[in-house]
Amino acid sequence: MRALLSVRGLGKRFGGLTALSDVSFDVPAGRIVGIMGANGAGKTTLFSLIAGNAAPSAGDILFDGASIVGLRPDQVCRLGIARTFQIVKPFSALTVLENLRTAAMFGKAQHRSAALADAACAAVLAEVGLAGVADRPASTLTLSGQKRLEIARAIATGAQLVLLDEVMAGLTPVEVAAMLDTLRRLQAARGLTLVVIEHVMRALMELCSHIVVLHHGEVIAEGTPAQIGENPMVLSVYFGTHA
Amino acid sequence: MDKTLAGRLSLALLVFGTAGLCVLPFVANDYIVGTGLTLLMWLALTQSWCVLSKLTGYISLGHVVFYGLGAYLVVATWNQVPLVLAVLGAGVLAAAFAALVGLPVLRVKGPYFVILTFGLSELVKYSIMAAESANGTASRILFGTPDLVLIYFAMFVLALLATALLRWASGSRFGHGLRSLRENEEAAETLGVPVVRYKLIAFVLSAAIPGMVGGVMALRSTYFVVGQVFDPMISITVIAMALLGGGDTVRGPIFGVLFLFLLQELLWASAPLLYMIILGTILIVFVLLVPDGIVGLFARRARPPGPTR
Repeated sequence: MRALLSVRGLGKRFGGLTALSDVSFDVPAGRIVGIMGANGAGKTTLFSLIAGNAAPSAGDILFDGASIVGLRPDQVCRLGIARTFQIVKPFSALTVLENLRTAAMFGKAQHRSAALADAACAAVLAEVGLAGVADRPASTLTLSGQKRLEIARAIATGAQLVLLDEVMAGLTPVEVAAMLDTLRRLQAARGLTLVVIEHVMRALMELCSHIVVLHHGEVIAEGTPAQIGENPMVLSVYFGTHA
Repeated sequence: MDKTLAGRLSLALLVFGTAGLCVLPFVANDYIVGTGLTLLMWLALTQSWCVLSKLTGYISLGHVVFYGLGAYLVVATWNQVPLVLAVLGAGVLAAAFAALVGLPVLRVKGPYFVILTFGLSELVKYSIMAAESANGTASRILFGTPDLVLIYFAMFVLALLATALLRWASGSRFGHGLRSLRENEEAAETLGVPVVRYKLIAFVLSAAIPGMVGGVMALRSTYFVVGQVFDPMISITVIAMALLGGGDTVRGPIFGVLFLFLLQELLWASAPLLYMIILGTILIVFVLLVPDGIVGLFARRARPPGPTR
């Protein structure tokens, strides 16, 4: 199967600290791939490198076969990659709809007129369950609402590849279940390719067809959820070794 | 059409104001025409300041540097270049200066940007002062400047231009990008807004108008002193007018300029000794109690705050 995203020997150092080293994996088009790992494993750094928010120290990132290393975040976005932020970054004083309008106007979709952009945004808002609050300032949303807003903005860019950074963290079990449902429907309806960082392990196991496990900046395991669940290395990292 | 109180008021202001300002020079004496000219000057300066500072949240305390550069260019080329060219050149010079310093200056955010723009305008002021006194031309007098009515109408055009510029910018895709980056620069960039380019374009657009305004005002005063055309009070007054007005649209500056300017004139005439004290008090009250300005005040009355979660 064709890889939409291909990460090749990616490395990132911050001074003396190695955040990522020699990370390689492929994301086939139309799949949901999970990134798993403890705090500080380098998951968010990986997203920052792919989205152009930071520059890699080594390696290459191919999107649809072409290297995207060295591009600015806005250029990466226009190619069709969108990301969400673990710590939500809403445009607080703007309304929910205006938040999405930015994405629809400036992302890959490139809607030049506000009317066209708003029509596209309304569809996305309905799909993520924010249609009722479209005209509220983003600052008035609950955490769950703001997480949904992050996702909605990413989708509204018209991206093929969406990087979701802990969109379920801090949500109640009921909200997690609803979010899983939303993500599955979005992915199926729009034919999206998703890369998902998540701490909620069960959610990750349920959602993804393929999981990459990072530990101290390196890939220690890769495979289907079932394979990862049985991988002795993953188990020892997560639960400690038997004496 | 906008049916809020502010909407109706500003439409009425626009129609009657424009008509009134058009006929003013033909019915009023020189003193009143001069006052109208000053009003238009503040309007042009404040509207253009808003293009950068209101829309992006980068509060510039150095708007006067463009005004000063424009004035200086017109004075320095006096009687050597056709006046129209000199005034247009003043706009180009100011825009070019903004383009030159923009990239490094706009990397700095928040209070640092405020201080940096202030420092930059002072730096340019003292550099030109030094050059002028080395030249032996610390102050100059211009002979044969155009008629007041002509200067008035030039300023009228600039005020309209500045208002049109802000109106376009705040309503366009460009303006939406600027407002997004004002809220969160990293999120805006990640959603496809070319933030560096947009900030620079806003800075350059916002600089061209005060350049030309300075060029025209140099003709009005005829007596040119560097310290006067680079006076930081001009930048501060512009910010005060924009804050008093509030909002993202052209209405804010119109209300703010009218309010502060009329107040200044009134107080100056009736209580010259208490003038600064009263003005200061009003500014403090506004900042504390009406942070979103006159436009916000109208908006609050028109639409009671909705339920928030």
